Amino acid sequence: MIETLKTLCTLSGVSSREDQVRDYIRRRVEPCADSARTDSLGNLIVFKRGAKSAGNRLMLCAHMDEVGLIVKSVTEEGYLKFGCVGGIDRRVLLGKRVTVGERELPGVIGLKAIHLTSQEERKKVPKLTDLYIDIGAKSKDEAQELVELGDVCTFVSDTVEFGNGMLKAKAIDDRVGCAVLVKLLEESLPIDCTFVFTAMEEVGTRGAFGAAFSVTPEIALVLEGTTAADLPALEPERQVCWAGKGPVLSWMDGGTIYDRELFELLRSLAEKNNLPWQMKHYVSGGTDGKAVQRTKSGVRVAGISAAVRYLHAPSSVCSISDAEQMLDLARLFVQAMAER
Amino acid sequence: MDLMKTLTQLVTAFGPSGNEGGISQVIEELARPYVDEIARDIMGNLICRKRGTGPRIMFSAHMDSIGLVATHIDEKGFVHVGALGGVSAGEALYAPVRFQNGVCGLICAPEDKGTLKAADLLIDVGAASFEEAKKLVQVGDAAVYDTPIRGAGNRVISPYLDNRVSCLVLLLVMERLAGADNDLYFVFSVQEEVGTRGAKTAAWAIDPEYGIAVDVTGVDDEPGSKHQASALCGKGAAVKIMDRSVICAPALVDRLLALADAEGILVQRDVLQMGGTDAGPIQATRAGVYTGGISIPCRYTHTPTEMVDLGDVRACADLAAAFAYCNLQS
Amino acid sequence: MEEILRALCGVGAPSGFERPAVLAARELLEPLVDEIWIDRLGSLVGVRRCGKPGAKKLLLDAHLDEVGLVVTGIKDGFLRFKANGVDVRMLPDREMTILTQPPILGVVACLPPHVLSAEEREKAPEIKDLYVDTGLSQEEAERRIPVGTPMVYRTDFTALGERQLCAKAMDDRACFAALLRTAELLRDQEPDVDLYIVGSACEETGGVGARVLAQGLSPDFCVAVDVTHGKTPDSPKEGAFVMGSGPVVGIGPNMARWMVRRLLDEAEKLGLAVQKEVMEGSSGTNGWELQIANEGIATAVLSVPLKYMHTPVEVVEPGDIEATARLLAAFAEHLGGEEAVL
Repeated sequence: MIETLKTLCTLSGVSSREDQVRDYIRRRVEPCADSARTDSLGNLIVFKRGAKSAGNRLMLCAHMDEVGLIVKSVTEEGYLKFGCVGGIDRRVLLGKRVTVGERELPGVIGLKAIHLTSQEERKKVPKLTDLYIDIGAKSKDEAQELVELGDVCTFVSDTVEFGNGMLKAKAIDDRVGCAVLVKLLEESLPIDCTFVFTAMEEVGTRGAFGAAFSVTPEIALVLEGTTAADLPALEPERQVCWAGKGPVLSWMDGGTIYDRELFELLRSLAEKNNLPWQMKHYVSGGTDGKAVQRTKSGVRVAGISAAVRYLHAPSSVCSISDAEQMLDLARLFVQAMAER
Repeated sequence: MDLMKTLTQLVTAFGPSGNEGGISQVIEELARPYVDEIARDIMGNLICRKRGTGPRIMFSAHMDSIGLVATHIDEKGFVHVGALGGVSAGEALYAPVRFQNGVCGLICAPEDKGTLKAADLLIDVGAASFEEAKKLVQVGDAAVYDTPIRGAGNRVISPYLDNRVSCLVLLLVMERLAGADNDLYFVFSVQEEVGTRGAKTAAWAIDPEYGIAVDVTGVDDEPGSKHQASALCGKGAAVKIMDRSVICAPALVDRLLALADAEGILVQRDVLQMGGTDAGPIQATRAGVYTGGISIPCRYTHTPTEMVDLGDVRACADLAAAFAYCNLQS
Repeated sequence: MEEILRALCGVGAPSGFERPAVLAARELLEPLVDEIWIDRLGSLVGVRRCGKPGAKKLLLDAHLDEVGLVVTGIKDGFLRFKANGVDVRMLPDREMTILTQPPILGVVACLPPHVLSAEEREKAPEIKDLYVDTGLSQEEAERRIPVGTPMVYRTDFTALGERQLCAKAMDDRACFAALLRTAELLRDQEPDVDLYIVGSACEETGGVGARVLAQGLSPDFCVAVDVTHGKTPDSPKEGAFVMGSGPVVGIGPNMARWMVRRLLDEAEKLGLAVQKEVMEGSSGTNGWELQIANEGIATAVLSVPLKYMHTPVEVVEPGDIEATARLLAAFAEHLGGEEAVL
């Protein structure tokens, strides 16, 4: 599970350019699946039969895309102006490395040195429109040879196990969910499952609308990464959830009030199988669940997430045991669905 | 139907967004004598149908209320909360609340906060410690306003007139359906307060030709009104022209106004600048639905003590019933 | 082209009240399509079928609604109002057409300079302080102008210089004119797709018109044709485009990459100048709603540069409209039986 997660995190997949991730996943799971297709928004929809027949009634989903940047213009001196694809706190961008476009050109988000910064300036974060990416080009013409408007930029961040069973990587949100789905696809299943690897979640759960509409499930399980703010600087009521305290069971976020019965089921499965579990202590964020739940005449939605520190930043951190337990719990959920 | 008695049953039933079981049961029992079918869908919408051969009309009144949901219990025994719907911290402060299990508390907040947001609110359940509080409340439990319902002349003061008074209006309409030809659906929808969520799936399943959302609407006659609404208490059923979620089809608006005129029902025109209703998602269903709104003007909406005029309530029921009987074949 | 724009921009049809524009548009579209109708939300739909079995559906959309005001109350014969998309700074002393039957004139009242302090004159007005002067008494105003009556800018159509035209509602009727021209250019061609040309309602208030159109028609591909900002002395360095330098192709998550590439290739083949606009999230057009309808639809956004958006003096170049039409016609002509490509 962790090796799969580590590989997935190294792949490039900014919203709407999920190709690398999608191709890797498809190559890996197609041999074990009954069907796989890519739809017009880039979702990868994979169906695998299980011991019990259920058609499309059970859907599991995770999003392939990560947040990143997009090139909007080139300055006269050959620097790139950019926008953020998905929600990114611009404070985490300063001085970071990115790769630009399909050619994965190295670039840096520079910032003038502190020596050149006035006291006033030091107190403020530069506006997004003042930031730029340096690809080492000396002129607009040179830059335009290398880069196109609309090229996406991915954070540079290697995948490293560190500390006490922790993982540092980019895009743990939501490659951890994708890894769970990939692993399940490689197992024999107790019931038919439709696995949806969605596109463009980070720009508004865009892929999930169409995927849910075409699959029309009765029950959907959303596998996600969610914000952990378990830091010493914060009071307990603002820490939301805790890395290492087990999978986060979704009960409510900004986009969805999750199905109560399915939440209780996940909780009891965790307890009966000695798996730790936690709930978020703050209502915030949203997942593909909000696109899926209100599709057609409604879908029962449940969610399991990994607590991830520094979400939507190049160096996210999660607990390895949380990720492994997420897979265990998802497997138990599928089993429980087969037994209904 | 005894208006105050039924309204009291409706406003005191527990049913914050996402947890509408309590109010759903109360409404089901009240509705049963008047309709041919009652069912609940996946979201929890209560869908009642009085079968007919004419065009399908979907009436929708949301049965969920705003509330607060417990997100964290601190070491002093205070319950931290998140909002279920549009709860204004200033309006909710010091209101008494109750949880589904009957535990009572009151809404308080840290004193030195600048501008209070709903997520800054706390509920004091009278516990002296985390352990004591944990025996009473769990993360995920929802609480609702626990203020009383009172009559005041021709007006009613109560929590949750938004939107239980509209549920009352639908029940009043259902009482009078004996001779109606149209195929009538009465949807008591869920999760409106958190984003008009329930109506979307109900409308998709029913696939109506016409939709009428019954909700409360803002008014221009509160003290210091900023003129964000045009309706006035006591001036009749508010026929919706537009709100933030919908611009009603002019032809349907004219139809409702003409009906009111023909039947001698007091009406007023309703332009609401803040807030959306079930009308929005209903209109946007499939290839589109002719959608309108009939609303009860309401003062102090989303506070623990809202106010409506019973004359307006009856006018809304009269107009909705007239539309239910309307020959729409033309 | 100028006559068509005069006809379309000359009617008052704000969001929710599009009928006059829909009727004007229908007259112009009818001769170019096989079938034409108005849907439940008041959008105009025309279809030209290609007659080939299993043909896919291409939807070209331009919205017919314009920005405007809505009457919310009356005080001393003066109208209080809310704005749907209107820049409040445009309003002092602005002439409006109040869309009663028949329409009447209103003027947005503004306090004269001599009663304002220097400070007050620096500040932009707030809607709550503005009223429309109807010249009527309270009683007459209440009788003739019901709450909810819409109002649009009252303004004439003018040419500006040799190449530019100025009127209200160029957003987005100039683009509907582009769609008419596209249909005209395709008249003698034989595309492989069924062509749906729509004049959608309610774009300015959230795009519900386009959403239900796509949900009902289930197209395989859509192009939302809207306006984007033309360069002016005060426009920012990015996000504004040169007038007369051709249509602007939208690039980003809202637009399917293969459609973008195809549009750019077609433009190159035609020797047409185009510009590019990168949008990292919503395109702010009907394209955002169209893309997620039903199973999801491959969507592109093509824009005509327009100066002074949402004001009474919107300016476009007919040359850009013509170029947009030529590009769309070429795109439609060469669209085949594509499978979902990214």
